[in-house]
Parts: sequence; C-alpha cells; structure tokens
Amino acid sequence: MLKHLKHWLKSFSLWELLKGMSVTLRYFFAPKVTIQYPEQKTPKSPRFRGLHALRRYENGEERCIACKLCEAVCPALAITIDSEEREDGTRRTTRYDIDLFKCVYCGLCEEACPVDSIVLTRIDDFFMDKRGDQVITKQELLTLGDKYETQIASDRAEDAKYR
Amino acid sequence: MVEIEINGKKIEAAQGSMIIEVADQHDVRIPRFCYHKKLSVAANCRMCLVEVGDVRKPLPACATPITQGMKVFTRSKLALDAQRAVMEFLLINHPLDCPVCDQGGECELQDLAMGYGRDVSRFNLGKRAVSDHDVGPLIETEMTRCIHCTRCVRFGKEIAGLHELGVMNRGEHLEISTLVGRAITSELSGNMIDVCPVGALTSKPYRFSARAWELTQRPGIAAHDGVGSYIYAHTIHNEVKRIVPRECEALNETWVSDRDRFSYEGLYHKDRVLTPKIKRNGHWEEVNWSDALAFAAERLRAVSDTQGADALGALASPNSSCEEFYLFQKLMRGLGSAHIDHRLRQHDFSDENQFAAYPHSGVTLTELAKADVILLLGSIVRKEQPIVAHRIRMASLTGATVLVVNPLDDTFQFNVASKQIVPGGDLLLGIAKIAKALVAGSEKIKPSAAIAEFLKDITVDDTAQQQANYLKDAKQAVIFLGALALNHPQAAAIRGMADFIAQHTQTTLGLLCEGANSAGAYLMGAVPHRLPGGQNSTKQGESTQAMVLSEKINAMILLGLEAEYDLAYAHRAQKALKNMQTVIALTAYQTPHLLNYAEVILPITPSAEMAGTFVNMQGDTLAFSALTSPQGQSRPAWKILRVLANLLAIEGFDYQTLEDVQQEIAPHLTTAKPTQRWSFAAPQLELAERLRIAPVPIYAQDPLVRRATALQHTPDAAFGGVRINSAEAQALGLAQALEVLVRQQECEVRLPLVIDEHIPNGAVYLASGIPETRDLDGAYEAIYLEQVVDNHA
Ligand code: SF4
Ligand code: SF4
Ligand code: SF4
Ligand code: FES
Repeated sequence: MLKHLKHWLKSFSLWELLKGMSVTLRYFFAPKVTIQYPEQKTPKSPRFRGLHALRRYENGEERCIACKLCEAVCPALAITIDSEEREDGTRRTTRYDIDLFKCVYCGLCEEACPVDSIVLTRIDDFFMDKRGDQVITKQELLTLGDKYETQIASDRAEDAKYR
Repeated sequence: MVEIEINGKKIEAAQGSMIIEVADQHDVRIPRFCYHKKLSVAANCRMCLVEVGDVRKPLPACATPITQGMKVFTRSKLALDAQRAVMEFLLINHPLDCPVCDQGGECELQDLAMGYGRDVSRFNLGKRAVSDHDVGPLIETEMTRCIHCTRCVRFGKEIAGLHELGVMNRGEHLEISTLVGRAITSELSGNMIDVCPVGALTSKPYRFSARAWELTQRPGIAAHDGVGSYIYAHTIHNEVKRIVPRECEALNETWVSDRDRFSYEGLYHKDRVLTPKIKRNGHWEEVNWSDALAFAAERLRAVSDTQGADALGALASPNSSCEEFYLFQKLMRGLGSAHIDHRLRQHDFSDENQFAAYPHSGVTLTELAKADVILLLGSIVRKEQPIVAHRIRMASLTGATVLVVNPLDDTFQFNVASKQIVPGGDLLLGIAKIAKALVAGSEKIKPSAAIAEFLKDITVDDTAQQQANYLKDAKQAVIFLGALALNHPQAAAIRGMADFIAQHTQTTLGLLCEGANSAGAYLMGAVPHRLPGGQNSTKQGESTQAMVLSEKINAMILLGLEAEYDLAYAHRAQKALKNMQTVIALTAYQTPHLLNYAEVILPITPSAEMAGTFVNMQGDTLAFSALTSPQGQSRPAWKILRVLANLLAIEGFDYQTLEDVQQEIAPHLTTAKPTQRWSFAAPQLELAERLRIAPVPIYAQDPLVRRATALQHTPDAAFGGVRINSAEAQALGLAQALEVLVRQQECEVRLPLVIDEHIPNGAVYLASGIPETRDLDGAYEAIYLEQVVDNHA
C-alpha cells in the first residue's frame, strides 16, 4: 500500500526528471574535459609510437648507416632498404621505404637501431589521398625528422632514465 | 687408432690428429679463430682452449695431439672460463663496428662473442686503431677489426704461394699488412676474404650492398676454366651479389679462383643486350622475338637455298653448355652443313682425327697429388687454370718435381726444377730435345721413322738432358699441354712428340683445354669431324680457322663469342664476317664491332642465368641450375636454337623442356677416361722468323670476365705492351723506343714497347683477347715491329 503511494507521489512531483536535471546541472558547472580537436589535443606520453622519422646528427649528417637491423627486426616487413658505399666511403642507404599500412607501430625498429636514427614520433594524425602514398621514402622520413627534431630529442631525453 | 673421450663420449681416432679435428668429425663444436682445416696450425688465438684430463691448465685443442685415453672437456668450468677470458681479450681492441661491417651476420667473432663472451665490456680505456692499406680492387681492408689470427698470411704463404701479406711489429703494435704500397696479386686472393674470420678483409665489389641474412644461397658451377669449380651464388632481388666457394674435395677443395669469384659483375654490365635486334638497310632496330627469329631463319634459308648448305658455318664459345652444343650441331647438321667448331683459338687441326672422344687432362686433380714429375709444356698454368696450378703446387710441396718448357719465362708459385725457355716460340724444338735425350740414353726406345727423321738434326742441351732424366726416372709423371701448346701452329707435332715421350716413360699426357666445356663440346659433336658421342662423321666440315679464312662461308651463326677477342685471327675474322651475307649472333653482349659485322642479335643468357651441363677436363659431368632468372628478354640459347630449328623445319626439335634435351644427350655423356694417343708427323708449317706469342690474359678469357669491372682493374688485366728482350730490341733498332709500330698482315697498330728479358729471342709477347690488339691478326703468326716515325718531327 505504502509502495503504491510512494510511486504515485514521485510521478506527480516529477522526481525522476529533477534527478536527471541535477546531473545536467552538476556537469554544467563541472570542469570541462572535451577538447576542440584539431585545435586542441590531448597530452601524449613521450613513449607514444606514431609516424616514423629518420634523424640527423647536429652537423646535418644523416644518422642511418644502412645496417638493415630495423628491416630485419620489423615483424610486419614494412621496411625496405637498399644500400651502397657513398663517395666518402661510408655505408648509406639509397632507398629507405616504410609502408605505413603494413607497419604495426610496434617500435621494434627504434629499439633495434644502433644509432637512434629511425624513431616513432608523436604524430598520430596523418593521411594520404593517393594509393601508393602510404609508402614513405627516405627523403620524406628525413624531412619529418628535421621538422620534429626538438620534440623527438626531448621525448628521448625524458624517457632515458627508464631505459 | 687411439681411443679418447670427449665430454664423456668415447671416440676412436687416428693417431696424431689434433683434438679439434676429432671434435669436428664428431660434431663437438670447439670455438676457434686461427684454426682452418686447410692451413697449418698456428695456435695463436687461444680461443680453442679446452680442459684435458689431469693437465691443470687448459690446452689449445688445435695444437694438442690426441693420446691414448685422453679425456677432453670442452664445456667444463675451466674450459668455459678460459674461452670467456680469451674472448674478453680479443674484444678489448675490437671496434663496435658490426652495424657497418660487411661481415655482420656471418662473423665468427660475432657468433663466438654471443656464445662465449660477456654481455658488457669491463674495458673502458682507449681502443687501438690501425690504418688501412689499399691492397687492390678486389679486397677491402679494415685492419682495426683484425684479430691477428694470421689465417690470411698462412693462406698466402701456403696455398696461394705468394707471401704478400705479412705480420709486422709486435704486441700492441702488431699489424697485418702488405709490403708498403703493394697490392695483392694472387689469382686466388679472394679466398682470403673467406678465411678471414672477421670483417678485416671483405669483398670490395660487394661492399655495403647487402646483408648476409637477406641473401639466398644457390649452388652453381663456375664457367671459366676446365675445372668447373663448385660455387655458391648469393642472390637478392634476382641479382647475384657475390660468389663463394662450395666445398668439393675432388675439384676446388674449399677454394675458388678470383676469376670464378668476381666474374659475376659482368652479368650486369651495360653491354648486356636484352632485346632481339636486326639490321635492316644498315640500321639496327629492336624487334620482338618472333620477328627476329623469323628474320634469322629467312636469312639462313636465303644463303643455303642459293649457295647450298656448305655456305653455312657455326662457331660456339667453349663455355657453352652441353645442351647448347648439342642443339647447335644438330641444327647445323640438320641444315646439311658440318661446319661447326668451338676450338676458337687453335691453329693446327691436322691431327684432329686422332683425338679421343674428348680431350682429357690425363690425370684427375686428386691423382695429380701422386705424380712425382710434372712437365708443363706451353702453359702459364697460373693464369690459365688457377685451380690446377694450385694442385700442382700442392704436389710440388709433397715432393713432385715440376719441369717447364715454355716460349716465355713466367713466374710460378711453386719451385720449378728445370725450365726450358724455347727461342722463337719453338715448343716443338723444346720437347724434341727431351725426346732426343731419351732416345740417345736408351737402346730400348725405338722412334718411328718420322720421329727419327725429325730428331736427326736436333742437339740436346743440358736443360733438356736434365728434364729427360727426370722423366726417365719418374714413377708417375704427367705432361700437361697448356694453351700455348694447344693454340700453337705446330700443335699436332707437339702432341705427337709429347706422346712419344709419354709412351716410353711412365708418363700420362693431359690437355688443359680452354673454356669450361671443351670436353662437352667434343662429346656433343660441336666439332667438324665428329658426331655426338665422339663417332667419326662421314661428312667432314671445316675447322674454325678454315671457316674464317676460306671465304667459302657466307652465313655464320655465332654462339656466345666475340670475333674480335675470341678468334685467333682477330682482324681477318672480323673482315670475313663483315663480308658474309649474314651473321647471326647469339650473344649476351653487344659491342660496336659486333654491330658492325652482325645482322641479327639474339640475346642469350650467360650460364649463370640458365640450367645446363658441363663436362670438365677430367670427365666429370657437372649439372647446374640457374642462379637467377634471365634478364630482360634474353633467353637461354637452347630455347632459341630450338625455335630457330622449328622455323627452319628441321626434324627432331620438338623439345618441351630442358629435360627432354638432357634425356637425348645423356647417352653421349660418357665419363669413362679416354685413351689419348697421337702419332707424330713432321709439321707442315714453318714458324715465322719472329713469332708473336699471344697468350690470353687471365681476365680476358671470355665475354663475361672481360666485363667484370673489378677484375679489369687488377694488375693482371693491365696491358703489358709489346714485349721483346733487349738483344732483339737492339737488333731491330728499337733499344730507345717507347712505342713501336706493330704490323701483321695488313694491320698496323701503334703500341707501347716494353723491354723484358723474360722473352727469348725470336719471340714477341703481345697478348690477344684484349682491346689493344683486337685489330691485329694471328696470335701465333709473324709479327713485324718498326720504329714509329712521327710526322710532326
Ligand atoms: S635506421 Fe637504424 S637500424 Fe635501420 S638501417 Fe638505419 S641505422 Fe640501421
Ligand atoms: S668483424 Fe665481426 S665482430 Fe667485428 S665489427 Fe665486423 S661483424 Fe662485428
Ligand atoms: S686480416 Fe683476418 S685473416 Fe688476416 S690475421 Fe687479421 S683477422 Fe686473421
Ligand atoms: S684455434 Fe686453437 S689457438 Fe686458434
């Protein structure tokens, strides 16, 4: 009997509605977490594994020495390298292609690289509009490296103490 | 036999063997750097330390002979500690180069460091660095990586026979080096790359182009000399990246000559033709296969219809496979012509009917070790057949006496007991002197009338007498006729005389023929007088020289050769070909010369890109398969010949696969050793007063090796100039000349003159098969040298 009365009262006083509205009201004043992507972005870990880049030394020399360890370790066979002796006698790649569709972003190439040349950057929003563009070349990778070097270096420095 | 125990396992082994040998035979792996089964024991790396019974300190397994009841422990604490300590010492000075080191991935040091070393280094002081030397175009040095095992030094001293690398200084300053500024010149030098356990010596042409782990290894047969060395090709993306030896105790052991190792570069030379071409109205055009073959067939028909089949000729390179030879001669004989030959550089064919089923080296390479006297007649064996030379050297080290009769004085990498350098290229005189000495020394030897007549006027000198004595006392002697004897204008008489000596002493006579498959060519009937299987042909055709010089041939098919380099009469051959109605060239390479005299170019694959069979000079049948697939539109010659025969409506050419051809030739591939006998007849040809001696340099033997870039930069490939001795130069008024005008027939070339006392009187050394002399003529003909008269002066 009492149960019925309670129900009847709740229905007429719009209690459920008020309860719902109170949630709305609470979130109305609560601190906001939604961000305005792409103008705003969420913070990322320095270990984030996104788009690849090839780094250079400070003097502008490319780091990669064409040892092909990254190619060998890559579980997805996404890396293709051709190498030769450059005029100055050093070992260099003539071709360094990464197929971004094959890559599983495991970061093993970065782990394998003895000279910290190939790295996975924080970039995770990239696209291509033509078939074939998913294979990025040595030149593109080096350009990426040049562009993001500051970020790449500071990320590596930050993570260094845990390695 | 003694019984020992390795790691608790009882093993019987021969007295006197070292622990490491016994362990290797029983698959117990002992780490090592300096030990190599084909080299002497140096015991300087100490990596092979093992624990032995009750000896308190560890012993080097490579230098400890086994004794009865010995107990060896290769994995005990004492052994492992010792090995680990040695490894640590070795790594003190070793650079952290692996990522840029070509040895990375196949490095013995890397492997053993993984298996026996520590994971971190305790050494944090400066490492030593050693400067590199340029040792030539084949080997790259990175001496900081050297661990001083001295395998390369021992290889040079013991196998190559040239002490070119040595150990300098001591202790921390120890270095492996050539004598200041010298290059490594041995024709087996590439093997140093293989014996070096680390990346100190690596291949220069291969440098940085691939990694060991991405290469595919395919077995093959080397196609440059009569040995048919077993090789492996390492390929990637359908391209041969390097050649390494495949072990074969009976042939090349664990070695391979530089020519076999580095010739692969020629496969990718810019001269490779990859599309069929025909010349129409004087212009070359690229066409498709069916047009090219139809055109070729039509041109052949045109000649044979109007002038008869006897106007058709065919020449094949001695490096062609048995299948190619067989189809080639079947095509020619099907057309009704017997003019087919592969003996491109020979001059004297008068005894061709006396040849056995195929030319044999007389003894096998293993039997050679048992010979006590070896006579080299007209052979610069090092440059002709490097592996045979190595075997001769091994025989000489175990006591065989080596004798030489040559038209020029060359160096050998073994001791030569007696050397006869015959003047004027008269090899027949040289061998006849030995024969005469034998006849004079024994009542029992009854020469035939022809020989007696020939020997009448010959006087024996001391050297010949000495050589005759060696041969007479020999229990098992071998006479090798090399290229200089086989290509000699009096080759038949030389063979006859050598055979006379062989019959009356304990001697076997053997031929060291040029090319990879001379024996196969005979067996397949690629000679004008024999059918497949060595039966005499009822229809005798013309030999190479007659085809080229007689002007009777009006259509020629060339298989894998370049007339300007591979034929004895370079100039006249080119002229004759140019005058023919048609020349159909099945070739892998095009040159301006070829474009000039050919009318159709059908691109074939070199043997590396096809399957086939070779028969080597000791009669072994060596089948091989393709190392890579054909480049461009080039095709194996057997396929081309088959279609050509179909277009010409010749019977019996309905092969579907190579196996069909192989089935047909199988009965002709005898491996039985033939009996070789030649009877002597006085030579019909007098030697010219001043004879050109024209050996083919080692890296000019065939079209492929002529295009191997690195080999072409070795000292062996450098042009040696026109060489005469100073007395001759004086007589010709050329003592001061730096250049001479060389005349042969109607050709004239200006070439540098070199005074060389190794050349006897009456002889002029001027190599053939090279660009400098491709416009000259006969390789063993008269040659005239004149002073250069400068018009400006
Ligand atoms: S990126 Fe690094 S691992 Fe890959 S080839 Fe270059 S140096 Fe070697
Ligand atoms: S020789 Fe071997 S251990 Fe030394 S750098 Fe080369 S690969 Fe590494
Ligand atoms: S160069 Fe190689 S083979 Fe020669 S001593 Fe050094 S490590 Fe040994
Ligand atoms: S292998 Fe025994 S000391 Fe080098």
